[in-house]
Amino acid sequence: MTQEMQFKTIVAQFCDLSPEEIEDDMRFREDLGFSSLGFMQFLGELEDTFDVELEEEDALQVVTIAEALELLEKLQQEA
Amino acid sequence: MKEYYPLTAAQKMHHNWIRKYKTQQVSGVSVVASLKAAIDFGLFKKCIQLEIERYGCMRVRFTKPDEKGEVQQYITKKLSGDIPIKDLSGMSMAEADNLMQQWAYKTFDGDDIPMCEVVMVKLPEGYNGFFIHMDHRLIDSCGLVVMINDLMQLYTHYRFQSEYPEDLADFEEVLAKDLKKANNEKRFAKDKKFWDDQLDALGEPLYSDIQGPSVLEESRKLHGNKKLRAADIELNNLFVEVKDYYLEPEPTKNLITFCMNHQLSMTNLLLLGIRTYLSKVNNGQEDITIQNFISRRSTHDEWTSGGSRTIMFPCRTIIPAEMDFITAAYEIQNMQNKIYMHSNYDPALIEEEMRKRYNTPENTTYESCYLTYQPMPVKMENPHLVDIPQHSKWFANGAATKKMYLTVSHTENGGMNFSYHYQTAHLEEHDMELLYYYMMRVLFKGIAEPDMTIGEIMAQV
Repeated sequence: MTQEMQFKTIVAQFCDLSPEEIEDDMRFREDLGFSSLGFMQFLGELEDTFDVELEEEDALQVVTIAEALELLEKLQQEA
Repeated sequence: MKEYYPLTAAQKMHHNWIRKYKTQQVSGVSVVASLKAAIDFGLFKKCIQLEIERYGCMRVRFTKPDEKGEVQQYITKKLSGDIPIKDLSGMSMAEADNLMQQWAYKTFDGDDIPMCEVVMVKLPEGYNGFFIHMDHRLIDSCGLVVMINDLMQLYTHYRFQSEYPEDLADFEEVLAKDLKKANNEKRFAKDKKFWDDQLDALGEPLYSDIQGPSVLEESRKLHGNKKLRAADIELNNLFVEVKDYYLEPEPTKNLITFCMNHQLSMTNLLLLGIRTYLSKVNNGQEDITIQNFISRRSTHDEWTSGGSRTIMFPCRTIIPAEMDFITAAYEIQNMQNKIYMHSNYDPALIEEEMRKRYNTPENTTYESCYLTYQPMPVKMENPHLVDIPQHSKWFANGAATKKMYLTVSHTENGGMNFSYHYQTAHLEEHDMELLYYYMMRVLFKGIAEPDMTIGEIMAQV
């Protein structure tokens, strides 16, 4: 499974879509219905799964799937 | 073979209250759900039995406490005991509600016993349905709403051939996953660091009471400590009264619109309303802590597995009078977001850390107010039942562990309900009237003029 698909599989657990239906320009809150708590818990899942450390301030700037993937890749490169 | 599991942090919260207050009554949760329609009770009973099979949390039992008072949980294959039918149709609705309120006071006493009771009820005015009484360690209110909807879907499937409800997540699997997550050492260390850092940065919290500073002063006298920052909790008289206030759809819409336009969550706006009132009646105290309940239900499995997933965390903010309303709202939101990210932590450990650092006396607290915001309406969302009048009611367990516990929910017609549960040992209905009145004044003043400072708002309301 690619990292992108692994990422989308986690996203899918938090919304009513399958990983294949999740598109890069979808917004977490408006399009996928994430609550504030859901979004923060999702970030926790990302940290545990990909072994990265997210700064809350950076994470809260994330709006779309593409932005989250980009942040994830950046953190992995820095690690 | 039976598998035994420790309690999750959310379950432990209720378990610790049972131990502290020495009665299981503090952990009771009860609701009646009924429809103004004839019900085939034979079929309905079968559906309830099927629901008990589907929803594993209803079959949870607890072992005898060990020498430290800790229990383990396990899931039985069946819920023993009958599902009786009680005919209350000869009463008025108020009398029937009063009787069910008495049922809600009942305790589940003993080890290795069922912690869930279901009674089918024939109610006045042609309403029929069921009353359920459970231990909060098994389920929270969101879990009950999911269960009620699933049960009604089962009934309409067998009665009217509607679609069979979707599978629910397996309670035991989700429980095992939760416990594994709680044991993740790296996450635990990060969460602990967040909560400890807060104490490092802000020091010991300061109690603020709905009735003003005299309550803390009393505790200071009692403990002979002029610098005491925590106040005593009521341990003996736990009787609770409930006062509900209804906010009309139009003003509710104004609050929702404000939240949407400013990307704020309703919880944070409500927290700001409560903390501003507390600040106002405590001589402008800036350091305020409120316990806020969150429901750890974010994934599909967490939503449909049942269980007790609601847990409270202290939301502590320091907001000076010069800060404007909207900045204060974002300050709370910022804190809440951080709390959400570290909400896998066991809040009992936060309390333990504070007791260790500040020698906080036993049975004292830093908070007088507790908030639960329920974005989900307590309504059967079954299309087959949508036009049928419903009568649903939550019953208080009659024993409050908290001085004042506010539950805010949305009503079916677009309004909001503010339900204040208060300990009668120290509070009266008038205290709730004042709290609601000023909360509303603060909120509507603030959303009308978000640039106004908190100090100006406190002075004007």
